[in-house]
Amino acid sequence: MLAAPAWAQDAQSEADEGRALFDEKCVVCHTNGGGDHIGPDLAGVLDRRPREWVARFILEPDRVIAGGDSVALELLKKYNGIEMPNAGLSAEDVEEIIDYLAGTPGAAAQAPPPRAREAQPPPEMLLAQASILYTFLAISVIIVAVFTFVALSTRGPAASVDIARAYQLRRVLFVIALILVASLLVATMPQSPYARAGTTADRVVYVAARQYEFVFSEEPIVTAEDIARSRRIASLELAPGELVEFRVTSLDVTHGFGIYGPERQLLAQTQAMPGYVNRLIVRPERTGPYLALCMEYCAGGHHLMSVPFTVESATPVASHRPTSSLTAN
Amino acid sequence: MHTTQSNTYPGTVGAAEAVAPAREVAAAETQSTIFLWMLTTVALFVILALLGIYMRLTQGGALVGLRSWFYPMMTLHGVGMAGLWFVGSMACACEALRKHVRASSAVAVFALAGTVVGVVLLLVSVFLGRFAAGWYFLYPLPLLGEWPAWSAATFLTSLTVLGATWLIWSLDVLRAVAERYSLSNALGWHYLRGETEPAVPPAVIIVTVSMIANVVALVSGVIVLVLFYFELLTGRPSDALLMKNLTFLFGHTLVNLAMYLALAVVYDALPVYAGRPWKANKIVAISWNSVLLIVLLAYFHHLYMDFVQPGALQYIGQVASYAASLPAAIVTIFGALLLVYHAPMRWSLPAVLFFLGLLGWAVGGIGAVIDSTIVANVRLHNTLWVPAHFHTYMLAGFAIIGGYFYHCGRQSAKADISEPIGRYQAVLLSWILAGAVGFLAMFYWAGAYSVPRRYSGYPIELAHGTTYALWAGIFASIFLLAAVLCLIDVMGSWRKQAPVRADDRLGAPSPIGAPAAARAEE
Ligand code: HEC
Ligand code: HEM
Ligand SMILES: [Cu+2]
Repeated sequence: MLAAPAWAQDAQSEADEGRALFDEKCVVCHTNGGGDHIGPDLAGVLDRRPREWVARFILEPDRVIAGGDSVALELLKKYNGIEMPNAGLSAEDVEEIIDYLAGTPGAAAQAPPPRAREAQPPPEMLLAQASILYTFLAISVIIVAVFTFVALSTRGPAASVDIARAYQLRRVLFVIALILVASLLVATMPQSPYARAGTTADRVVYVAARQYEFVFSEEPIVTAEDIARSRRIASLELAPGELVEFRVTSLDVTHGFGIYGPERQLLAQTQAMPGYVNRLIVRPERTGPYLALCMEYCAGGHHLMSVPFTVESATPVASHRPTSSLTAN
Repeated sequence: MHTTQSNTYPGTVGAAEAVAPAREVAAAETQSTIFLWMLTTVALFVILALLGIYMRLTQGGALVGLRSWFYPMMTLHGVGMAGLWFVGSMACACEALRKHVRASSAVAVFALAGTVVGVVLLLVSVFLGRFAAGWYFLYPLPLLGEWPAWSAATFLTSLTVLGATWLIWSLDVLRAVAERYSLSNALGWHYLRGETEPAVPPAVIIVTVSMIANVVALVSGVIVLVLFYFELLTGRPSDALLMKNLTFLFGHTLVNLAMYLALAVVYDALPVYAGRPWKANKIVAISWNSVLLIVLLAYFHHLYMDFVQPGALQYIGQVASYAASLPAAIVTIFGALLLVYHAPMRWSLPAVLFFLGLLGWAVGGIGAVIDSTIVANVRLHNTLWVPAHFHTYMLAGFAIIGGYFYHCGRQSAKADISEPIGRYQAVLLSWILAGAVGFLAMFYWAGAYSVPRRYSGYPIELAHGTTYALWAGIFASIFLLAAVLCLIDVMGSWRKQAPVRADDRLGAPSPIGAPAAARAEE
């Protein structure tokens, strides 16, 4: 291997350090060439801003903002008022990160094109969702019909109605409603997600939620420091038909973990609550790209909080590989 | 013509209460306070609804330049509308009870003052502090958002002021009811024992039940706030699951009660237009007493997706949510339909609004019952289905409140309340209805498609959510425009018939305190 000059080697290792730091502390909100996320895309940031400004901003964004720096305030406004947190970095850390940002024009080229994802037409509604909607529509139509019927009846006023008969009708309606309600309870309650609590899953995946990302891991994550220590799953792949248990918790506020299948509709969800672990057991059947979205409002970046994963047969079926599009952002 | 007869329709409120006490108050004065009241409610409603339209347009991809204000405005819209709805229903219920019960006017003025202070603090925290934790400020989000700590503290203070004020207001109403009837009679327990005297109007039973549940709700809200302060001061965190339970015991109950209060008003006023009495009896008493129990247990359905919540509570949540719909449908809706069926109905504006309000309540209720089924909740929890159903019955509630304002205004002016709805108003009402149905349909549709609620913009996978949002914004604009035109027409015709002495009223204490203050001098 041809040795690079010493100064270049130094810069290179600095940038490597910087990259590690960036991956640890910044990717929640930034990409380097992957498009805007919660904060701006940082590729080329050194072309748009003086290096000193960038260094100072990374070092103490809170004070730069509090100091009324016009560029910072402009950015703050553009990015939904979300203040970049002070990561508590040293000046050397910051230099390393800047070296990484400055020295990797290639990163932008390697990364998947940020906006390759394209809007698709609305999917066909899943059976569960459709039955909910049409049950609601059907009952609503009945209600509207009854109200209309009663309203129209006032065109022929009668001095009095037969109260005894009306009360009899009410009794009949009450009994019917009671039977309906009771049988619905009996029919639906055993299918509730808690009923599966005792099952042992084929695979356990730990999920830690925090503003504004989900972290998949093979090991429990209880604090933010655990993220670096634990065996993190960079891109989660599940096998179809496998019984998977997601153990979901949160490191800050309450989030939600909603699983959207290839049909882009909810298949299952649970809350991610600080101090608790919710065990969500699912058996994904369909192969293809999945997406977990945050289902509990968690402040300014809530609508950006998502993580993709895939369900694929172990035998590599190339055609099922999700396009890189789904993994962007 | 039943001009003056109409408000003392024999039997309307039960034999013993057949004739409302004569009101020798200067009609013009009462009317103008009601007029002021209406103006304030209407103005706030319009502003808050505009925020709603802004939100849907933003979600629809328009107005992206203003996107960063989405969550603060969502918070303002939510707290504002829920609060306005509660205060409006309380005011209407107090007005309906005025024939039977005398609440303290000093407390009413105090309630108004507290509400104003609370609203000012709310505006400061949202506009200056960009506070944006949402209307139920789920723990610990207020302490961990991108807004400064002072704005969270201001918001919490605002809610404390509102909560404490409304707690005192509710307790005073309860006190007044107990003084007149004794609490057990006001709850209709003597009907359960088979007695028929004293006759207690249904409105009194409903308001009493609601106020008791309300005290429970507000107390649990106050506990939540105290725990927040405790953490702010000592740094000791609270238990998130406990906080969530308390939060929804508070939020869910409060919002449901506001609807019950609106129903009390329908019990009070719809008979006047139907020309028939609507009396309390054993069934009404049973149904509303069971509501008291049930409504306090139904809130568990907000925690279905918290799997660590004890399983029994989850199932209780579903049973209670289903059970809550039975008395509602079988007693109240059935009773109202029976009242109207083949009645010599006078379809004036309030009657139409009451009827539509009940219809909306029923439809929204179905949306809620479906969502409270645990298996369905897996697909619907925190999707747009949730705002879909509560906007259905909250808009219905506002129809009732609006109708009741009109009803009271005309009555106190001794005007003819029986004139059928005019052609122009009927046309506007159809536009209002069409706009509302379209706006709500987009919510339901998107909710069924799993589009999450509280997203200021949608991810590319759910790009169709953007389209629904845009249409909803257009429908909501139609709704609001027609509603404003209708209101202008109503107020204009009022002015012509009974000119308001604006000079006198400028210094009037309040929309909320004023009617009570005026009535104290009766
Ligand atoms: C919680 C999200 C978040 C994290 C974590 C975060 N940032 Fe930021 N960053 C932002 C936001 C939002 C902005 C836009 C300015 C603002 O709103 O404060 C920003 C702005 C910046 C800017 C200025 C960009 C420009 O276009 O001028 C730089 C540079 C930056 N961040 C670097 C970093 C680095 C390096 C890290 C990791 C140590 C980091 N950020 C971590 C959210 C974050
Ligand atoms: C035309 C009128 C209205 C429009 C256009 C409108 C629109 C909206 C929108 C877009 C949202 C956010 C939905 C989301 O979660 O993505 C919302 C939330 C809400 N609205 Fe409305 N709304 C209207 C009327 C009302 C009324 C009458 C009430 C109550 C009486 C009300 C109470 C609420 C509440 C409580 C929330 C929840 C806020 C939160 O999630 O924190 N709205 N509304
Ligand atoms: Cu979230």
